[in-house]
Amino acid sequence: MTGAVSIGLLALLTLSIPVGIVLFLLGFGVDAIFSPFPLIRGLGNLVWSTSNNATLIAIPFFVLLGEILVRSGVATRTYAALDRWVSWLPGGLVHANIATATMFSAISGSSVATAATVATVAMPQAEELGYDPKLFSGAIAAGGTLGIMIPPSINLIVYGFLTQSSIPQLFLAGLVPGLLLALGFMLVTVLICLVRPNLGGTRRTFPFIQMLRALIQLVPIVLLFGAIIGTIYKGWATPTEAAAVGVAGALLIAAAFGGVSIPMIGKSVVGTVKITSMIMLVVIGASFLNFTLASAGLGAELKAFLDGLGLSPLMTILVVVCIYIVLGFFIETLSLMVVTIPIIVPLVLAQGYDVIWFGILMIVLIEMALISPPVGLNLYVVQGARKSGKMSEVMLGTIPYVIAMLFMVAALIAFPSIALFLPMTLSGS
Amino acid sequence: MAETILTVLKRLNWGVAMLIGLMLLACAAFVLTEIVIRKLGSSLGGTDEISGYVMAIATSWGMAFTLLELGHVRIDFLRTRAKAGIRALFDIFSMVVLSVTVTLIAFRSWPVVERSLANESRANTPLETPLALVQIPWFLGWVWFAIVAWLTLVAALMLILRGDFGAAEKAIGAFGEEEVIK
Repeated sequence: MTGAVSIGLLALLTLSIPVGIVLFLLGFGVDAIFSPFPLIRGLGNLVWSTSNNATLIAIPFFVLLGEILVRSGVATRTYAALDRWVSWLPGGLVHANIATATMFSAISGSSVATAATVATVAMPQAEELGYDPKLFSGAIAAGGTLGIMIPPSINLIVYGFLTQSSIPQLFLAGLVPGLLLALGFMLVTVLICLVRPNLGGTRRTFPFIQMLRALIQLVPIVLLFGAIIGTIYKGWATPTEAAAVGVAGALLIAAAFGGVSIPMIGKSVVGTVKITSMIMLVVIGASFLNFTLASAGLGAELKAFLDGLGLSPLMTILVVVCIYIVLGFFIETLSLMVVTIPIIVPLVLAQGYDVIWFGILMIVLIEMALISPPVGLNLYVVQGARKSGKMSEVMLGTIPYVIAMLFMVAALIAFPSIALFLPMTLSGS
Repeated sequence: MAETILTVLKRLNWGVAMLIGLMLLACAAFVLTEIVIRKLGSSLGGTDEISGYVMAIATSWGMAFTLLELGHVRIDFLRTRAKAGIRALFDIFSMVVLSVTVTLIAFRSWPVVERSLANESRANTPLETPLALVQIPWFLGWVWFAIVAWLTLVAALMLILRGDFGAAEKAIGAFGEEEVIK
C-alpha cells in the first residue's frame, strides 16, 4: 500500500493536478482498493471537522499579520537599524540581510513573505555599494527560509495539526535551531569574505550613539514577537489567540508608521483569503488521505515493512533525509510537507523518534527545498526583486548556506536536544 | 462569451474574498476582546467555537477565489516544458479532475447538513449553536466552488477551441512562479 500510494502520488503530481486534489484522489484510491469498508461516506464529516477548527484559524491570522507588516514599511527601518550593528563584520551588508530576515521571521509565519520583504528593501543597496550579487542575493533567499523555523510558523501549525502534536512545543523547539541557523549563515558569510574580501563589499562602522539610536527602530518588532510568543509560552493565550494579538500588533505598527489605509487593508485581507484557501485545500486533502491510510491499516503495514528491511533507526532517518532532499528539487514546500506527513511521520515514529524533534528536522529539510532549483520559491522571489542579472546567480549564491543547513541536519540528528531542550525545560516534562 | 463568464466569476469572487477577509478580521477582533475580558476576570465564552465556524466557512468560500487566482498549488516542472497546445491539455485535464473531485466533495457534504437538519442537532457547547445554521453556509461554499470550477472549465474550453491558448492559460494555467510574490 505504501508503495502504491507513493507511486500514485508522484505520477499524479507530475500530471500537474493541484496538490490538494491529488491527495483526495489518493484517498479515494486507498478507500476503493485497500479498505475493508467504504470510507467515502465519511468524506463530508471529515471535511467539516477538519475545517471547523479553532486552531487552524491561526493560519489566516498569521498570514494576515505578515500581509500587513509587509505593506507597513517596518522592514526598511529594521534593515537600516541592523545595518548599523552588523556591517562591521567581513561581508558587511550581507549580515544585515541575514539579521533582518531572522528578525522578520520572528513575526512572520512564512518564508516567502520574509524573503520577499527583505529582498525589496535590500536589493537597491547591493548595487549602490558594490556587493557580489551572488552572495548578496543568496543570503536573502537562505535567510528568508528562517521564516518557517523561527516561531510563529505556519508550517509548524500545519505539522502540529496533521500529527496531533503540540503547537506551542513545536514553536519552542524551532527557536534555538532557527537562531543557530542564522548564526551559521553569518559564520559562513564571514568565512567566505575572509577568503575572498572582494565579495563582501565595504565594511562600515557607525558611531556608537547612532547604533544606540537605531535600537529604537527594533522595539516594535521585539515587542510584537514578545506578545506573540510570550503569551503562548506563559499560557495566557492559545496560538490562535496569540495570532489575533499579532494581527492587532501589526495594525498598530503599520498605523504608527502611517501605512494603514482602506486599500491596504483590502489588499491584505484578500491576499490572506487566497493563501489560506490554498493551504486549506492541501491540509483537508492530507487529512482525508491520513484518515483512509490509517483506516486501511497503514501502521501495521509500515511496521512489517520496516521489520522486513531491518534498517536501524539511524539508517531510516538518513533515508528519509535523502528522500526530502530529492523531492525538494521538484515539489513546492508546503505541499512537500503535507503530502509526506501521512506516510513518513508514522514510519519515523515507529522507529522511536520524537514527533516534535522530527517536525523541526523536517522544517530544516523543507527550508533547503525552498532554495533548491528548479522549484525553490525563494529563489524566484529574490530574483523577482532584482532589476537585472541571471537567476543562476541567486542559485549559486545559496550554495554556501545550503551547506550550513546540511550541518544543521547532521547536528539535529546527533544532538536532538538542540530542538528538544527548550520545550522540555519550559514545559517541565 | 468565455470572457464574460470569466470576468463575472472574477468579480463575484473578489467580492466574496473581501467579505470573508472582513469576517476573519472581525473574528480576530472578537478573539482579542475575549482575551481582554478574560484578563478582567470574566468571559464572553464560545470564541473557540465561533472561530472554528468562521474558519470552516472562510475555507469553503475562499476556494473558488483561489482557483481563479491560480492559487491552488500545482507541481508544474513537466508542464512548463511542454508546448502551448500540450500545456492546454495538462490544464484542461487537471481542471476536469478538480471539478469532478470538488463536485464529489460537495455532494458528500450534504449528508452532514441533512443529518443536522433532521435531528435539529445543536453543538455540544454552552452556546448550543444549531449546527445547520453554520453547516449550510459551509456546504454552500463547496457548492459554489464546484459551480465556479465547471463554469471556468467551460469558458477555458471555449477559448482553447477558438485557438486562444494565451487567454486559456491565464484562466486555468499554473501560477507563474515570479507572480507568487504579489
